[in-house]
Amino acid sequence: MRVARSCSIAALVVLAMASTVVLAQDGAPAPRRQPTNAAPKPTGPTPRTPDGHPDLTGVWNGKGDSLTGVPNQTENSGVLIDDEYSAHDIATGTRIAAFPRPVGSRFGTVAISGNEGERAATLLRRIGSNRPIYKPEYWDEVRRLDDNANEEDPSNQCMPAGIPRAGIPQYIAQLPDRFVFIYPGQGGLIATQTMYRMIPADGRRHTPLQKLDGTYLGEPIARWDGDTLVVDSWGFNTNTWFDQVGGYFHSENMHTIERFHREGNTLTWTVTVEDPDVLLQPWTSTPRVAVLNRDPHAMLLEGYPCHERDLGNSVTKEHH
Amino acid sequence: MSAIALASLFLCWSVAVRAQATTDPTPQLRVLRAAASALGQIRMSDIGMANPPLPLVDIVTTMEITGNGTVYTNGQPVMATYTAAFAYIPQAMRVQIKPGAGTAARTIQTVREEYAWNESEPGAGLIPGKGTATPAMAAAKSRLLQLWILPYGVVKAAIAAGDKTTISTAQGSTVLAFPLSGALAGVTVTATLDAKNFITKVVTKPADAAATDLVYEAEYSDYADHGEILTDVKSPGHIVQRLAGKPLLDVKVTKVDANNPYLVFPLPPNVKAARAPAGSSR
Repeated sequence: MRVARSCSIAALVVLAMASTVVLAQDGAPAPRRQPTNAAPKPTGPTPRTPDGHPDLTGVWNGKGDSLTGVPNQTENSGVLIDDEYSAHDIATGTRIAAFPRPVGSRFGTVAISGNEGERAATLLRRIGSNRPIYKPEYWDEVRRLDDNANEEDPSNQCMPAGIPRAGIPQYIAQLPDRFVFIYPGQGGLIATQTMYRMIPADGRRHTPLQKLDGTYLGEPIARWDGDTLVVDSWGFNTNTWFDQVGGYFHSENMHTIERFHREGNTLTWTVTVEDPDVLLQPWTSTPRVAVLNRDPHAMLLEGYPCHERDLGNSVTKEHH
Repeated sequence: MSAIALASLFLCWSVAVRAQATTDPTPQLRVLRAAASALGQIRMSDIGMANPPLPLVDIVTTMEITGNGTVYTNGQPVMATYTAAFAYIPQAMRVQIKPGAGTAARTIQTVREEYAWNESEPGAGLIPGKGTATPAMAAAKSRLLQLWILPYGVVKAAIAAGDKTTISTAQGSTVLAFPLSGALAGVTVTATLDAKNFITKVVTKPADAAATDLVYEAEYSDYADHGEILTDVKSPGHIVQRLAGKPLLDVKVTKVDANNPYLVFPLPPNVKAARAPAGSSR
């Protein structure tokens, strides 16, 4: 009885509170909160260096996500959630159906239960339509690599993710004649080792491709295109895929053009991949947005030591 | 306020929030959520626990279904392997029919939005000298319609139709009816759901009765996750299709790749240059 009475009292209180909230402004109903995964709108000024360029220096992990360069995996997969009943494919604008979450589903897909969550995440990572178009003779190979990613993904066994798969660096140091990018080692989707790049911005030209030994990171050169930093790289080995998932292999003739654009506290990154040996046409990634760590004294944490634990236990082809 | 009252307040608030969260605003959405859930077509869209909770989204972008059985070509039954690779963004489908040994050569019929063509091999015509792509524009609507009579297409199109989708009951089963739009405007789709909310029968009816290439009937049964890589996406194990009342397809599904596999449908230059005859459905 006491509980029932309390509930009744509480219900009245809730009713009163709800009425207050609903009629909070000029008697008009309060807008319903719309769940969305849209990138945050930039805030604050865009600082500039003495030479007038935007200053990209900083720790770019402000959204706190644990995956390198993947602050918003569903958006990075090419789907933007508009509200509870609507989403759309970023590349084409095509509407995608959505429904409000069911009761009790507080956490993300991985928390549903082990297998169900992983399977859902696997599908979500392949939901967007922005896919590189390979030459037809390679279509089956791309599918084979993706289907067998547990064995075939070159970033397994703690190998470097490489460029451009690494995405947005978590730390950028901008000097007048060079940039330093740091990609700490991560667990999760791409369990990989720490990588760094020292990128000249002194007007030099690329070494002729035939004189380069292919590497995971290639030979990068930076230049400014207005307020956008362009990092042009070639000279890669063939031991990497060029996107997070999908089996997107490349040849040693891959050429990447990364574009970094700072606006306030956000950094937008895209990459165009040219590889006439295997691609029918150049491919440009869906833009990704990183947020500056709001702590001006923020430091990078020590990268996780990479230790491959899962592969030995894989008994099916289910994967990320 | 006492601790019990505070706890009760929280309890009542939680119940109120939960009740609100489970109520879709229209009967159409309630039925379509049930159908999409049965198919495993909608999933929560936030990955991991670090992000704020997001709604469920339709996760079917690309899929490939392979089956063995009888395929009817010009009315003649042929034992064959049937493979349908399809995508909803962009709307596209590539159907390969490989007859059994000693019979005719395989055929590949492809459609992407308003363009249709036949391929001598997948991706023919994209690189000069590698296969032949023959425009077949008059078949575009009929091929495109096959995309929307698949269970996943029914759910997508019915949701897209919004308030124009109607719900009724016939012989104890739930029946959805809705109009298609875009290139297929004028075609009405009727779909029947079983007690588990699986789509078991689909019938299409064009506004123009003479457009018999848009009169499909499809029956689906034996739903399960048929994928080698499990996805929890359910697909029919048996597919029967009729076109204009005549048998078209009767196959037992042997393989499904529902993991949004790499399936692409670039337009060959000569197909892109061809123009669909306006107003034709054939």
